[in-house]
Amino acid sequence: MGSYLIRRLARTLLVMLGISLVVFVFVRSIPGDPAVAMLGERATPAAAAALREQLGLNKPWFFNPANPLDAQYPKYITALVRGDLGTGLKSNIPVLDDLKSRFPATAELSVAALLVALIVGMPAGILAALRRNSIWDNLATTISLLGVSMPVFWLGLLLSYFFGVKLGILPPSGRLGTEFDIAPLTGFNVLDALLRGQPAAAWDAVRHLILPAIALGSIPLAIVARITRSSMLDVLNQDYVRTARAKGLTERTVTTKHALRNALLPVVTVIGLQAGALLGGAVLTETIFSWPGLGSWVYDAISQRDYPIIQGGVIFAALVVSVVNLLVDLSYAALDPRIQYS
Amino acid sequence: MKKLLLTALLSTLSAASAATLVFGGNGEPVSLESGNITDGISILVQRQIYDTLVDFEDGTTNLKPGLATKWTANANNTAWTFSLRKGVRFHDGSAMNADAVIFNLSRWWDKSHPYGFRDQGRTFEIVGELLGGYKGDATAVIKNIVKVDEYTVRVDLNKPSSVLPDVLAAGYFGIASPTAIKKDGAKYGTPASKPVGTGPFIFQSWRTGDRVTLLPNKLYWGEKAKVDQLVIRSIKDASQRLNELKAGTIDFANDLTPDSLKSVQGDKNLVAVKRPSFNVGFLSLNNRNQYLKNDKVRQAISMAINKKEIANAFWNGLGTSNASFLPPVLAWANSSKVPADYKFDPAAAKKMLADAGYPNGFSIDLWYMPVSRPYFPTPKPIAEAIAADLSAIGVKVNLKTEDWAKYLQDRNKEPGFDMYMIGWTGDYGDPDNFYGAYYGANASDDINWNPANVETLLQQGRAAATQAAKAKVYQQLHEITYNAAYRIPMVHSNPLAAARSYVKGWTPSPLGSEPFNTISVPGKK
Repeated sequence: MGSYLIRRLARTLLVMLGISLVVFVFVRSIPGDPAVAMLGERATPAAAAALREQLGLNKPWFFNPANPLDAQYPKYITALVRGDLGTGLKSNIPVLDDLKSRFPATAELSVAALLVALIVGMPAGILAALRRNSIWDNLATTISLLGVSMPVFWLGLLLSYFFGVKLGILPPSGRLGTEFDIAPLTGFNVLDALLRGQPAAAWDAVRHLILPAIALGSIPLAIVARITRSSMLDVLNQDYVRTARAKGLTERTVTTKHALRNALLPVVTVIGLQAGALLGGAVLTETIFSWPGLGSWVYDAISQRDYPIIQGGVIFAALVVSVVNLLVDLSYAALDPRIQYS
Repeated sequence: MKKLLLTALLSTLSAASAATLVFGGNGEPVSLESGNITDGISILVQRQIYDTLVDFEDGTTNLKPGLATKWTANANNTAWTFSLRKGVRFHDGSAMNADAVIFNLSRWWDKSHPYGFRDQGRTFEIVGELLGGYKGDATAVIKNIVKVDEYTVRVDLNKPSSVLPDVLAAGYFGIASPTAIKKDGAKYGTPASKPVGTGPFIFQSWRTGDRVTLLPNKLYWGEKAKVDQLVIRSIKDASQRLNELKAGTIDFANDLTPDSLKSVQGDKNLVAVKRPSFNVGFLSLNNRNQYLKNDKVRQAISMAINKKEIANAFWNGLGTSNASFLPPVLAWANSSKVPADYKFDPAAAKKMLADAGYPNGFSIDLWYMPVSRPYFPTPKPIAEAIAADLSAIGVKVNLKTEDWAKYLQDRNKEPGFDMYMIGWTGDYGDPDNFYGAYYGANASDDINWNPANVETLLQQGRAAATQAAKAKVYQQLHEITYNAAYRIPMVHSNPLAAARSYVKGWTPSPLGSEPFNTISVPGKK
């Protein structure tokens, strides 16, 4: 297990290095100039050229014959090794500081969305499999189809307007009511509020989480429900399940003890894959719900061509996806005793 | 459990009892460091924390004293002397005096200033834009900054400028505490620092991506804030700002889309607020294009577009169309020889096109912005309306767009766009801020038209000491640019804002933001 972990971590490191190079080249290859984007409507060629020089963007990408280290990538990678992701071109805020404050917001939302997906999607999938071709099955299938096909931005706006404005029972957007302020500890508002003894603020943070979590969780929910259904159907038709039933076990015991555990493997794989999808989906959800996370931050940086932020955001997101997938791989061993890592 | 619930209830009640004013901003401030910003929401937040040397009268672009009580120029406008207000202290208790003002001006203008932090990414690009460059640059307006005495600062100029006080009144240039800048170093202005000014509100916290919280400055030298707390939330999406207003989770907001007007007016809890117009949305026509270099073609295009109808259709009464590049508040600089409105006459336009040698018209590209701005809130449908008008005289328009950063870059790259939509929102109340941005030596290279007489007039306008003298100069510019028809003004819009009905004392400035110390929220629940 130990050597497996070391191998995986070493591979992750190589992947990160590769990604740093790809994202470095990619952001500089897309048309549009950060200096022009910073100057906006007032950008003249002369002003943009002067600003480009100030920002060091006029230097060669990889190799400067006059001074080999005075090029953009060597400087970037040297700083990266030291843990310095640079500073936002416009804001001058260290990218790492922004990551520290924004990642917990995205993580909190993603966890909530995943909970929505699991709490609703798995029982729906199980029910659909157990009551195949019944009204429950049709209902679960229809909801999955809706979840997968409904655009997140549209669902988000609909939820916000209906529950936030029309019914007025949940906040339309934001992460915390303005009557509260929670000094960050972990960055997870609900947790921090509880740790700091602010139960009212914790409840308010939960209320703010509900709508964006439903919007972000809609697609994973649908996928989890469908995979659970098909996986359960597959397992329920296995010989060992028939044997369990023949032994006279109750249907509940057959389902929960024998079928469900084996049916969970593909679901866990899907959850791992959804971690990346959640980070991607967060871009839209966070923008609609004014959620101060990574998604809206990187999205703004892309439109502004803020290279250090795009690079830092992408590398960090890749790291998160790698780690989540590693955890998923490790969880296989816990779910299936036949799987061992060495 | 009961105890927990009671605690929750009590903390909710005590939090709600304070008079908190909540503003829905159209994003997050980029930085709270004065002199190093260009975006509207950073200016809006900084206007609460900092004072500028010179200020604007409520709801206008007329100057009034700020941290300077008096400002005078020498005979030829090459030196400005600012007399500073005595007894003013920064929020950290340090004194606002000539040293503090010189410290601020110098770190913006002098690239070698030890507290300019240029080696750590600071660019202060707005100084280059509005003041011609930095210390030592041949184009720089400022030559030297001199301490006359403890409360007097003189700014010597390389060339005459009558607009220096107007420029320094712009929201970019709040005066910050040197002590705080020295203490926070290169972190100053980021969420990890504590920005310190002399303004009506004191910085309390900045929760990244979410909100900035400010407290009233009880020792403010001017009108003191009327609320216990000011929260400026970051709500990027305009429809979401409207939702929050309707839900009562924010008290007031800027930059709603014109099509929200009916929804705001239909809600008894809301009041629609039309910000005075201080912008221009226009079409730029490129002289490099074989058709557009013909004077008659450009005039025909101008005559074929029904600007009034387009303004009515897409701005919902929140925009006016006239024949001036300047917004209505600067109408004193318009020429009476130019008609107030453009003539809309498709038949005459078609004839003019035939006279130019194109009886069957031609094909041309029209680029529209991929982003919404107050001067063009819905660029694509507006472009479609323009294309429809031009097709009536035989000009076939190909509509094009691209990513905003690329759009801004490509318009200045040869051969540029044939015809494109762009606009401008003013920084201060002088015609130079409009004409100078799009005509003359410092302007974009997008139309390939920069005659010497235009640059000369711009220089004369900057040097003219009185409004009457300026008017004479800008009237000539108005006539020249109107007849040339390289830039065709389409609209001056009133950006839509809205407030809950209990919000009192809000006087929106044409400049897009104002200090909120005049606002109270009696009756807010």
